Amino acid sequence: MPEAMGFYTDTTVCIGCKACEVACKAWNQLPATNGGVLEMSGDSYDNTQRLDGINWRHVKFIEQFPDDRVAGRWLMMSDVCKHCVRAPCLEVCPTGAIIRTEFDTVVIQSDACNGCRLCIAACPFGVIDINPASNTAQKCTLCYDRLKAGLEPACAQACPTDSIQFGPIGELKERARRRVEQLRALGEPRARLYGADEAILGGLNSFYLLVDEPGVYGLPRNPQLPTRNLRASSALSVAVALVMGLVGLVTLRARRANKRAEVHDA
Amino acid sequence: MPDTFYTASPHWGWYIVAYFFVGGIAGGCFFIASLLHLCGRPEDRPVVRLGYYVAFAGAVVSGVLLTLDLTKPLRFWHMLIASNTGVPLLKPWSPMSVGAWGLLLFGAHATLAAGGALAEDGRIRWRPLAGMVSGAPGMIVAALGSAFGFFLAGYTGVLLSVTSRPVWADSNLLGALFLCSAASTGAATLVLLTRRRHDAHPATIAWLSQFDRTALVLELIVLTLFVASLGTVGRVFLGWWGAVLLGGVVGAGAILPLVLESRRSHDQRTPVRAATLVLAGGLFLRMAVIFGSEQVRAVGSGVALP
Amino acid sequence: MEHSDCIVIEGSNMAECHPVAFRWPMKAKVERGAKIIHVDPRFTRTSAMADIYAPVRAGTDIAFLGGLINYVINSERWNSDPFFREYVVNYTNAATIINADYRDAEDLDGVFSGLMEYTGNKKDWPFDAFLGQYETATWQYARPEDRSPSPLAPHAPFIDVIRSLRRTPPQRDETLRHPRTVFQLVRHHFKRYTPEMVERVTGCPRDTFIEVAEAILQNSGRDRTTAWTYAVGWTQHTYGPQMIGCCALLQLLLGNIGRPGGGIMALRGHASIQGSTDVPTLYHSIHGYMPAPSALKRHGTLRDYLATEGSATGYWANMPKFLVSYLKSMYGAAATAANDFGYDWHPKVSGDHSHLPMFVAMAEGHVKGMLCIGQNPATSLNASLERKGLRNLEWLVVKDNFITETAAFWYRAPEVEGGDVKPEDIQTEVFFFPSAQVAETEGSFTNTQRLLQWHFQAATPPGDCRSDPWFTHQLALRLKRLYADSDLPRDQGFKNLVWDFDPVEGHAIPGEPDAEKVLKEINGYRTEDPSRHLTGFGELADDGSTTCASWIYCGVFPAPDRNLAKRKEPDPPGGPGAHLNWGWAWPANRRVMYNRASADPDGRPWSERKRWVWWDGAKWTGYDSPDFPPAKPPSARGDPDGIGLDAHSGRSPFIMKPDGVGWLFNPTGLLDGPLPTHYEPAESPIHNPLYGRQTSPVLKYWRRDDNALVDVGDERFPYVITTYRLTEHYLAGAMSRWNPWLAQLMPELFIELSPELAAEKGIRNTDWVRISTPRGAIRAKALVTRRLRPFVISGRTVHQVGMPWHWGWQGVVTGDVVNELTALVGDPNVSIHEGKAFVCNVERA
Ligand SMILES: Nc1nc2c(c(=O)[nH]1)N[C@H]1C(S)=C(S)[C@@H](COP(=O)(O)OP(=O)(O)OC[C@H]3O[C@@H](n4cnc5c(=O)[nH]c(N)nc54)[C@H](O)[C@@H]3O)O[C@H]1N2
Ligand SMILES: Nc1nc2c(c(=O)[nH]1)N[C@H]1C(S)=C(S)[C@@H](COP(=O)(O)OP(=O)(O)OC[C@H]3O[C@@H](n4cnc5c(=O)[nH]c(N)nc54)[C@H](O)[C@@H]3O)O[C@H]1N2
Ligand code: SF4
Ligand code: SF4
Ligand code: SF4
Ligand code: SF4
Ligand code: SF4
Ligand SMILES: [Mo]
Repeated sequence: MPEAMGFYTDTTVCIGCKACEVACKAWNQLPATNGGVLEMSGDSYDNTQRLDGINWRHVKFIEQFPDDRVAGRWLMMSDVCKHCVRAPCLEVCPTGAIIRTEFDTVVIQSDACNGCRLCIAACPFGVIDINPASNTAQKCTLCYDRLKAGLEPACAQACPTDSIQFGPIGELKERARRRVEQLRALGEPRARLYGADEAILGGLNSFYLLVDEPGVYGLPRNPQLPTRNLRASSALSVAVALVMGLVGLVTLRARRANKRAEVHDA
Repeated sequence: MPDTFYTASPHWGWYIVAYFFVGGIAGGCFFIASLLHLCGRPEDRPVVRLGYYVAFAGAVVSGVLLTLDLTKPLRFWHMLIASNTGVPLLKPWSPMSVGAWGLLLFGAHATLAAGGALAEDGRIRWRPLAGMVSGAPGMIVAALGSAFGFFLAGYTGVLLSVTSRPVWADSNLLGALFLCSAASTGAATLVLLTRRRHDAHPATIAWLSQFDRTALVLELIVLTLFVASLGTVGRVFLGWWGAVLLGGVVGAGAILPLVLESRRSHDQRTPVRAATLVLAGGLFLRMAVIFGSEQVRAVGSGVALP
Repeated sequence: MEHSDCIVIEGSNMAECHPVAFRWPMKAKVERGAKIIHVDPRFTRTSAMADIYAPVRAGTDIAFLGGLINYVINSERWNSDPFFREYVVNYTNAATIINADYRDAEDLDGVFSGLMEYTGNKKDWPFDAFLGQYETATWQYARPEDRSPSPLAPHAPFIDVIRSLRRTPPQRDETLRHPRTVFQLVRHHFKRYTPEMVERVTGCPRDTFIEVAEAILQNSGRDRTTAWTYAVGWTQHTYGPQMIGCCALLQLLLGNIGRPGGGIMALRGHASIQGSTDVPTLYHSIHGYMPAPSALKRHGTLRDYLATEGSATGYWANMPKFLVSYLKSMYGAAATAANDFGYDWHPKVSGDHSHLPMFVAMAEGHVKGMLCIGQNPATSLNASLERKGLRNLEWLVVKDNFITETAAFWYRAPEVEGGDVKPEDIQTEVFFFPSAQVAETEGSFTNTQRLLQWHFQAATPPGDCRSDPWFTHQLALRLKRLYADSDLPRDQGFKNLVWDFDPVEGHAIPGEPDAEKVLKEINGYRTEDPSRHLTGFGELADDGSTTCASWIYCGVFPAPDRNLAKRKEPDPPGGPGAHLNWGWAWPANRRVMYNRASADPDGRPWSERKRWVWWDGAKWTGYDSPDFPPAKPPSARGDPDGIGLDAHSGRSPFIMKPDGVGWLFNPTGLLDGPLPTHYEPAESPIHNPLYGRQTSPVLKYWRRDDNALVDVGDERFPYVITTYRLTEHYLAGAMSRWNPWLAQLMPELFIELSPELAAEKGIRNTDWVRISTPRGAIRAKALVTRRLRPFVISGRTVHQVGMPWHWGWQGVVTGDVVNELTALVGDPNVSIHEGKAFVCNVERA
């Protein structure tokens, strides 16, 4: 298996040009929402609004301006599937449609998916949704087809400022750590990496450099594997089941008892 | 914002609500029937058979609903058999995968039991079939079946908890809660149906109602714990679905029937009213839990709350 | 830009409008920690990447830059570090002394000496629209007893014509103390441009301004360089060229011209728009930035032209060679010394024929027909007026990839939908020619940094779509046939025009010309043997022995089989990164112009870090192709009687200038003053805080009822509005609003306004609002954002709003045309409109 490949996204050089969104749609021939005819969202320059079955990249715009406008910031971040090392979507998929590739990326095989939509609920980042064109769950494939052909993913290739950097995860993490130190030195104490270590779902093969709390970017602070609830939930259910059983037995026994009592009285 | 809010909704709607509701009833009925079958008395038999019928019907309907909910219904079998290799597929840690098998096996037992019941009722003239509800085989079917029944009733809640969605993933009590509800709605269904079957023995019906009340009380306790366990996520219920939960599930679905039943003046329509309310409560519970979560969705860099 | 230590982006939204070029500022930022500064009325996606964002009210950059100039020359660093004085004294005209009778705007309350009535032709082309004009005699260099040009024989050799233009060298004072030295005049001119004044005029907080000033000071000098970059945020004003000039002045004072990581980068617009000014589609110039022969100037004969436009000193002394070679390429064998190489056949300009006056003329019925190739004027400035023009044409040809607003103006324009105009009443006959796309034809692109790159045909055009070269070629062939047997003198030019672009061995698309043949003609060759290509403009001659359409492109095609625009070899990483084998840059494949200034007067690199071109003892050498006579030592003295570069010393980097130095003060070249001066835009809510003179005294205004302007402080139109672009769309939108993938990114027309203004007007985010000016009114959604802010201008609050202008009524997503709001006012030098700063009203719709 070749080494793990993925994305390092340096949000501090993202200019919000959305070339990544368009390149992704063009390469994967994804339809435009409602043929392109939409209402302006009014949410800064973000009219895409979400990742889903036909938007596999979504550039977020966060306006941070105090009333007096001093030291305002306009944060931008190109969101995408995180290709989690321990992937919740893959974990729960009942049909085995979601697989881990030789590049350690997570891919949905559209022809196996039956549209139960559990993966949608399982993804802690709200990445997946049904693509009305195929009627199956879809998301970023990390350009599996291009990787197999030795090409760079379309979005990374289109990114003019190298905000999206594609490569072997090891190298990327090195580069990212150096950049964080540089930013800290330049007086950005909030600079941090998100998903570059095992803490989040065993690591994200698409990890981010942020300059604020994850929540500010609409990212969960501490996403968990769905199965974290499996044991406890099951145990409690079984417990209640047993209680129910007991109640049943006891009440029936009681009924017998009364019956006998009646008999004796007679 | 709680982490679970930054997720996307799976658009689980009425099919799933109905499936969870019907599945619960089916499971509950089978369990009650098998209980009466194993520990009951001869005069309980009509209700035993009734329970098996309902379980069977419920299993079939459940299967249909679950399939209809898929965006690719014809690929239902992909959940049981890997579509590319053709070998059976079971992921013990994935409730959806296990659930599919569970439903299948429950369906099998319900079919056997219902078949036996038919034979016992004399609607089918094939002696050996009756064996499914009598003697040793009957006991095995009843025991295993009721285990699967419980599973069917409870896994739906566990399934919700094994996601990353608000409410669902924020508590471990959904399985337990649905299980209680399954028991109460199951019992309520039987109470209602015995009105049609005049061979049902009053004592059995009385027991059913009593069992139902106990289940309701248990359900109320678990529900309280559940809401408490949500913590800040509880804000989701500060709205329409909260009202449904409080008015529909707690009020109309549990407290009211309990009050009705416990009243001295006991005319013979009271159990019907109570049972109907309990069923409604069971449905409301599934609705509140599913739609309450569905309304939360990540948009832009924030979250759309009701 | 990769080499810059500080990059000031002012008058451009580079990240949004030049995203691919923006990788270089980002590279400088990430790899060498360069400081990025953005000066803009709005906080844009460029500001988001900047270390310092300086907000300014639209139209006030001269005040801002003037403030920087004043701050810099009075700063401790500038006066203590000898570098600055050494650069300024040797490489600029700071030490030159100006005529005694020159009066500065500072003394005449906002105008310069020489202002007068416009005397140009008003009768046969009454559309020049100048308010006034300057007599520039007083702006000239002071010269001891200047020789009067000696009279010439009618057929004197061209070189004599040039020699006759020689002047005595101007007086200088290298101590810069003389009160009439350019330096003292500059100091005097800008002395009131203090940080406080900058804040009063621009609205930029004093501290932010000073932060910017300190940043550029710290990042200029021997060892560091600062670059400026602008685009139409600067040009689209009635004093746009003065803004750019002001920046040049500042960059010269900081020693940032002709050095790596320095300079002023003009970010051009349309793909190859640079090419279209080099090989001009402009009415007022011919190839290689020579002025178009004009009926309004002393251009009667070839010699008159040279006497008027030529210069005895500096590289322009070679103009006869450029011009004659150009005429040879126009008229071939027919062009002989006897007939002045056909100069008389060449069309002459009779007035301002740029976009704005042409449409006014159209509206007044002076124009019969128009070929509209790759333009969408139905959405252009004062759109309803431009459409009035279209309605008055007899015929209109639109050659485009889409049925644009211009092609559909006669059945879908607002006035038609509104019922004010009926299609059946429109006389214009409209022809639509489906066009091929660039990818469907081969040719060269010339980009922002003067780099020619060849692009190959990637696909064949669908159906009967044809390329623009095909169209032009076929049109020319047909016209030549039409004039073939005319004896009218005026048709001789057409008859003698050389037109030979048919491919030697055919073309897949019938009638498509041979693009390389065109480039060969531009590059030039020996007249007697076209297979002997010229390898550089040094080989040009004024006797007709060389044929060359554009001297600046001479050398791009040095041999019939060597098209250097096709080269694609980048330098290996880590190198200086001149990339001399990638494409070909004019002139002479030079990447940094005037790069002799990257070495000190003695020819040594100013510093190791900023090494670029230097004197190695025998010749000029370096990473780039030196912009200087290769063997001329730094010690060389200028020959006072010399012609061309002989007149320049070895320390004169600015070889195109007659005096070899960069101009802080412009005696010639600009019609609106030798020094940049802050005026208010033609429409402004406030009175000019600096001078009694409100607007440029010589701007162009086409006075018409449908082009009315708002008076200063008219309360009905209190808000400053600017118009601009979004990354998601392209210009009038034909190339983006028709594409669902792009359309969905910015689906609706909107206006950006501050929460403060929104609150005042009871406007909520995404509400529909109505925006109006005397020219028109439109509807748009409100985008309420803190990225815009109210300015406090000389004590009172002025609200700034902004609108992207990409919408129209054709395409997948549609919206109102923002140019319904704009007015036809122009800059005097280049007639560009003022789409960047005017006033409007905003209310809830
Ligand atoms: N995506 C995209 N890219 C394009 C184009 C496009 O339509 N779309 N068009 C191309 C063309 S033809 C051109 S000419 C270029 C234009 O490139 P730009 O000049 O960068 O584009 P604009 O958005 O018109 O104006 C730039 C900025 O000028 C600011 N501005 C307005 N008035 C003033 C002022 O008085 N002073 C200062 N300092 N700033 C001011 C505006 O707020 C805006 O942010 O872009 C080219 N690139
Ligand atoms: N208010 C306001 N007005 C402005 C500006 C502003 O900033 N504010 N900017 C001004 C500037 S800088 C500019 S450059 C102008 C641009 O204004 P226009 O040039 O009128 O607008 P475009 O949409 O670029 O028109 C170009 C047309 O060429 C077509 N086209 C594309 N490729 C080809 C081709 O290969 N061949 C042919 N024949 N056609 C082709 C496109 O479909 C499009 O319809 O707008 C100016 N107007
Ligand atoms: S981000 Fe979501 S979709 Fe992507 S791998 Fe992780 S869980 Fe799956
Ligand atoms: S929707 Fe498809 S991919 Fe997602 S879990 Fe279900 S089967 Fe797997
Ligand atoms: S990697 Fe490929 S699929 Fe994924 S976002 Fe980029 S372009 Fe789209
Ligand atoms: S392409 Fe790069 S810069 Fe542009 S939005 Fe995407 S990530 Fe940001
Ligand atoms: S649109 Fe074309 S020219 Fe403009 S930045 Fe993008 S790639 Fe470059
Ligand atoms: Mo432009």
